[in-house]
Amino acid sequence: MLMSVALLVPWVAGVLLVAFDGRRHVVAWLAVASLTATLVLVSVLAADVLGGGTQQLVTGGWPAGVGIVLRADALGVAFAWLSVLVLLAGAAHEAVRRVRSRTFPGLVVLLAAGLTGLFITADVFTFYVFFELAMTASYALSAYGGKRRQLRAALVFTAVNLLGSFIFLLSVAGAYRVTGTLAMDQIADRMVAVNPNASLLIAAGFFIAFSVKLGLFPFHFWLPTVYAGSRPAVAAILSGAVANIGAYGLLRFGAGVFPGQLEKTGVALAVLGAVSIVYGGVLAIGRGDTAEMLAYSAIGQVGYVLVALGVGGPVGLTAAVLYSVVNSLNKALLFLASGTRGLFIASAFAIGALSVAGVPPTAGFVGKLELFRTGVVAGSVALVVLLVVGSVLSLVYMFQVYQRAFWREGPVAAGAASPVAQRLLVAVLAVLVLAAGLWPEPLLALSARAVEALLVEGPG
Amino acid sequence: MVSPGESDETPDSMVRVVARRLPGPSLMVAAALIAKGYAEVGDGFAAGVIVALAIALVYVALGGEAAEAALPLLRHAPKLAVGGLLLALASGFFPLALGEPPVSHRPAPGEHVVKIGVLELFTPLLFDIGVFLLVVGVLTILLHHLARPRGEARR
Repeated sequence: MLMSVALLVPWVAGVLLVAFDGRRHVVAWLAVASLTATLVLVSVLAADVLGGGTQQLVTGGWPAGVGIVLRADALGVAFAWLSVLVLLAGAAHEAVRRVRSRTFPGLVVLLAAGLTGLFITADVFTFYVFFELAMTASYALSAYGGKRRQLRAALVFTAVNLLGSFIFLLSVAGAYRVTGTLAMDQIADRMVAVNPNASLLIAAGFFIAFSVKLGLFPFHFWLPTVYAGSRPAVAAILSGAVANIGAYGLLRFGAGVFPGQLEKTGVALAVLGAVSIVYGGVLAIGRGDTAEMLAYSAIGQVGYVLVALGVGGPVGLTAAVLYSVVNSLNKALLFLASGTRGLFIASAFAIGALSVAGVPPTAGFVGKLELFRTGVVAGSVALVVLLVVGSVLSLVYMFQVYQRAFWREGPVAAGAASPVAQRLLVAVLAVLVLAAGLWPEPLLALSARAVEALLVEGPG
Repeated sequence: MVSPGESDETPDSMVRVVARRLPGPSLMVAAALIAKGYAEVGDGFAAGVIVALAIALVYVALGGEAAEAALPLLRHAPKLAVGGLLLALASGFFPLALGEPPVSHRPAPGEHVVKIGVLELFTPLLFDIGVFLLVVGVLTILLHHLARPRGEARR
């Protein structure tokens, strides 16, 4: 019941809001209100799931297999909550100033519907449907602003991600062809008996589709143009909420549906992740533009998630979940801070920068700590060295930009201060990042529960 | 759509007449597709695409402005799309109010269904009509934007 309502509210609200002129303050604030309502609903759902275990619902009361199965487990609600939070921050950031396009508020709410839906479905095809709903909304969002820069970003984003979606659909079709089912747990069960070449090919298809979403190293080429070209609120939404599809997908499909294939390719994944870290870190150094630096940093940061996934096991997966959450918060904070000027924005940016570098007492430190634990458990010196190198690189590029943007007197630092509400919003995110670092227990427990749901209760 | 230097600016009169008359019959085909969709091939989506094809021909034959002058309903495409989506969502989620899982339907499986010929009156019909309206509405919005004269695209 709660699950359906959490899906229904953003869906209906989004459809209605798209019909009205989003440039009016009322419409923008209604969008913020409906996102807040969605966040509350997802929070209650999360509390239920964490307290009482996974919830499942079959549409139409049909037997599972005929009806579509919606299943909310700890991993799903964690990502749903995080994504809606970032969307809320992005929408509120624009609502305070003035929304510049008719459709922006409605699209953000529809994006919330798509993301919530795909995080709580246990059916591969329904996943694809919600995935497309979310992606279609984000294609339109990436053009927000309407200048040449944004349109270029939108074109690149749409072209590359349509290709990614197509590969995803092909893999769905492949999985259906060899297993005869679309339910995640049944696919996982039957994949064991499938010809290893076929199953590896399908798993690789899913991996590529989600890597494109996430912007991992060999599939990252679209990311700098898009993140640097779109407006800060949109960049925050894309990197903090939409990219979660990639991280969630890698975890759900990698560890949940294709555990055998994940184990076999673990080393390759870890190497790809390592390349991502070094590549993103090196290229981020010396970028003049804050958004561009953040874009390269994003490529490096998701590398850590892939490394943790490649190492695998409860420790590695917990680190992957934890780092995805932390990274999403960091990116939302940094992109929003880069679009804001005035008192305590510099401090907020510094907190985000420290968190990316993994310096205590920020959330990033907890993430890095878990990654180090992964490295130690895996008994790999190379991994630990890589983590240190990656952290040093991020410290360098973050503070280069910090100096340029906030210390130096110049065209960037000048400019009128942003409205107080906008700055407060950034400050709240910064406090959240700090709080998660100072009191990491809930975040650690959540990640552990999410991995438990993924490994013990089975996929879906 | 008109480029300078082109002597023959509008399509053949035959095409224009057919384009003008086609949306009517296409609606009938769509209705037939929806009605038989529960036993044979056909659904709201296919029905919507067929009507949208007829509308596309109107846009091609008459041009954007004349098409919308001839069929004023086309100007209401956004309302059609939003209304259709809301209708589909409502027919999917109304069981929540009755304490049933979403996408349950009334009359429930096994209960008596009122029939008019082959048309069965139950709530999934509303869902298909909603999808039909959504598809027609969205495709018409796209056609409207594609058929805009070049100068207007800047607005």
